[in-house]
Amino acid sequence: MTTLPTPATATAPPETGPVTGWRRHRSTLLIVGALFAALALVVLTQGPVTRAADLDPDNPGPDGAQAVAGVLDDQGVDVEVVRSASALETTALDADSLVVVTSSSDLGTSTTSALLDQVTGADAALVVVDPGARLLDALDVDGGPTRVDVGDGVPGSCDDPTYDDLVLVVDSADALPLDGCFSDALAAQGTIGGDLTLLGAGELLSNDQVLRGDNAAIALRLLGGRERLVWYVASPDDLVADDGVGITSLLPDWIFPGLAILLLSTVLLVLWRGRRLGPLASEPLPVVVKAIETTRSRGGLYRRSGDLAHAADALRAATRSRTGDRLRLGAHAGDAVVVGAVARHVGRPESEVAALIGAEAHVPASDRDLIVLANDLAALEEEVRRS
Amino acid sequence: MALTGRVPLLGLLGLVAVVLRPLASTVWLWLLLVAILVTVDVLLAPRPRDLDVVRRPTGSVRTGEATESVLVVGNARRRRVRGVLRDAWQPSAGATDNRHPLRLAGHDRALLATPLRPGRRGDLRALGVTIRLLGPLGLAARQRTVDVGGTVRSLPPFASRKHLPSRLARLRDLDGRAAVRVRGQGTEFDSLREYVRGDDVRSIDWRASSRTSTVVVRTWQPERDRRVVLVLDTSRTSAGRVDDVPRLDSAMDAALLLAALASRAGDRIDFVAGDRRVRARLRSSGARDLTGRLQDVMAEIDPVIAEADWTALVGAVQGLGRQRALVVLLTPVEPASIEEGLLAVLPTLTRHHRVVIASVRDPELERMAAQRGTIAEAYDAAAAERELRRRTRTAEVLGRLGVSVIDADAERLPPALADHYLALKARGLL
Repeated sequence: MTTLPTPATATAPPETGPVTGWRRHRSTLLIVGALFAALALVVLTQGPVTRAADLDPDNPGPDGAQAVAGVLDDQGVDVEVVRSASALETTALDADSLVVVTSSSDLGTSTTSALLDQVTGADAALVVVDPGARLLDALDVDGGPTRVDVGDGVPGSCDDPTYDDLVLVVDSADALPLDGCFSDALAAQGTIGGDLTLLGAGELLSNDQVLRGDNAAIALRLLGGRERLVWYVASPDDLVADDGVGITSLLPDWIFPGLAILLLSTVLLVLWRGRRLGPLASEPLPVVVKAIETTRSRGGLYRRSGDLAHAADALRAATRSRTGDRLRLGAHAGDAVVVGAVARHVGRPESEVAALIGAEAHVPASDRDLIVLANDLAALEEEVRRS
Repeated sequence: MALTGRVPLLGLLGLVAVVLRPLASTVWLWLLLVAILVTVDVLLAPRPRDLDVVRRPTGSVRTGEATESVLVVGNARRRRVRGVLRDAWQPSAGATDNRHPLRLAGHDRALLATPLRPGRRGDLRALGVTIRLLGPLGLAARQRTVDVGGTVRSLPPFASRKHLPSRLARLRDLDGRAAVRVRGQGTEFDSLREYVRGDDVRSIDWRASSRTSTVVVRTWQPERDRRVVLVLDTSRTSAGRVDDVPRLDSAMDAALLLAALASRAGDRIDFVAGDRRVRARLRSSGARDLTGRLQDVMAEIDPVIAEADWTALVGAVQGLGRQRALVVLLTPVEPASIEEGLLAVLPTLTRHHRVVIASVRDPELERMAAQRGTIAEAYDAAAAERELRRRTRTAEVLGRLGVSVIDADAERLPPALADHYLALKARGLL
């Protein structure tokens, strides 16, 4: 007795199961493993935390402000970085503190009012960098920032002697709707309590432009005035739902006036198309009466009164007169004569024909009977015509 | 005042201003700018009243045929004007393309033709000429509508004139050549000629034959100088529509065909139209182009929703003269109106004249009588059968009074009436 070898292709031997399972998932497992390894490597080799936001004191990039923060620290100013509204709340401020706000576009209505309350309460100084139109509105400043041409540099030329001999050199700057220095790019606002300064040329704090012109001196005089510097990087995470920052802060500021212009143009379009070239042409209408109308309404009247006897009578009389004409009985032949002639002509019993067209025939009992009678009469006429 | 399409475009241009200066005040300033420009343009635009607009008279045209109305527009000032002019007509006048661009130099004139295609019989009126003149910026215009009166007379279409040639041929056949003719009151001796086979032996003139070697027959001319009086009923029954054409229009068609035929046959035609009172009257008295004049008279006639006063109409017929005439009453055989009005006065007519009633039949009535599928149709059929019987009875009564009734569909009525006339003429019964 011989045993046939089991074909390997039919069923795999049981002891090879784990091997094929490993083989099948080998690539997936390798990829997952490599990912974990890479993640571990990243976590372990992570250096000091750097931030990417513009003018962040921990951002060493060209748009960051690590240089200014570092220099101020070296100069003996106590620099403290605050990154959230709650952290700012727990920071004690006093008259020797100066709060500088960067990423000011992320300030919402609630965070702005909280910040102002805290600063005025502690009698601290406040510098807001690159305020937008909305923020200016919240700060009680009428108007919005407008682009200003800085060119090769702008001298201080203002009442404040602090910036008298300095020249500002930046790529672009916003003029504030207030009287101030450097073509209004730096201005103090006195309407709120405390010491509020607005800076429209935030670029002068950035790492790659701080060394141009007298930018470094301006930055140090602006921010190094007090012993303690609280650097508040506003964060969108602090916004609450009704801050209304959502979409409107992301849209360009001409969108609402632009929509108003579109609305205006639509109204003008309506005025253009809505003006007719002269009055509407009107037609003196003729009387429209259908000739058949009276007959049709008489039919409706029969129906509403359910006058089966009258209707059946009219139909029978019409058939009698037509068949009489057809058989040339003369206009004044009696009903009985017609019945007899028709019965002879079509070869039906006289009683049957009399029940159909006789003047004394029974009245149909229902609407259905009337329809049957009407069609029977039509059929009889057809029969007379053919035979 | 009117704006042009440039104004909304100017408004859209404000988007550029808003992008450059994204403030709410920009929108208001732009609106102010647009308003100022439009106001200035309107104030600078030429005045429409400085243009003289005169309409040349428009003739009459058969319904459905094309014509045009010409306006002469003159610029009285030295200034150039441009704009647009609309010549408005009532819709049934079919004034397509009635907006004309205007470009006139100083003291210049222009002819503007508005094509018309009347779709309805009657006098169709122009409703007003609207002139819109643009300002120098092309932003706004002054607009004014002036009433420049004008009408186009739309004559009855006379669709049955296609039957005229064949009936005229039949009329010529009646002329002279045939000897087989019963002599009537108006027949006249025409000539003697040789007998040919087929001639009625009764027409042989024995006395003339005795003088010659051949048999001679007398021939007679058909009657001439008979009178035909057409009486058109314009009362409420004529307003009824048969297949969406008023019965009155179909009756006019029949009257026109008969008038054209009878005038060629040398008869005189009088025409009376009326309802409660006589609306129109026309005596041919041998005038040429009778159908044209008849169409002109008919153009103005519209149905009136009132019962006909047959006494007045018959009085008008009697007033036309006492000579015996063929009186054609163009009125529908509506039992109710005939029994109440016409029957009473018919004997006075039949005593002097031969009377024919030409009636437009409604084929819908027979269709209605034949439809018996549902209960509503069965009742309608009963009503229609009753109506048909009443009509037959009315026609019988009329026949007993010596009146012939021609009751035919709108299409068939004109030739049927013409044939009846020819038959009367052939038998010398006029």
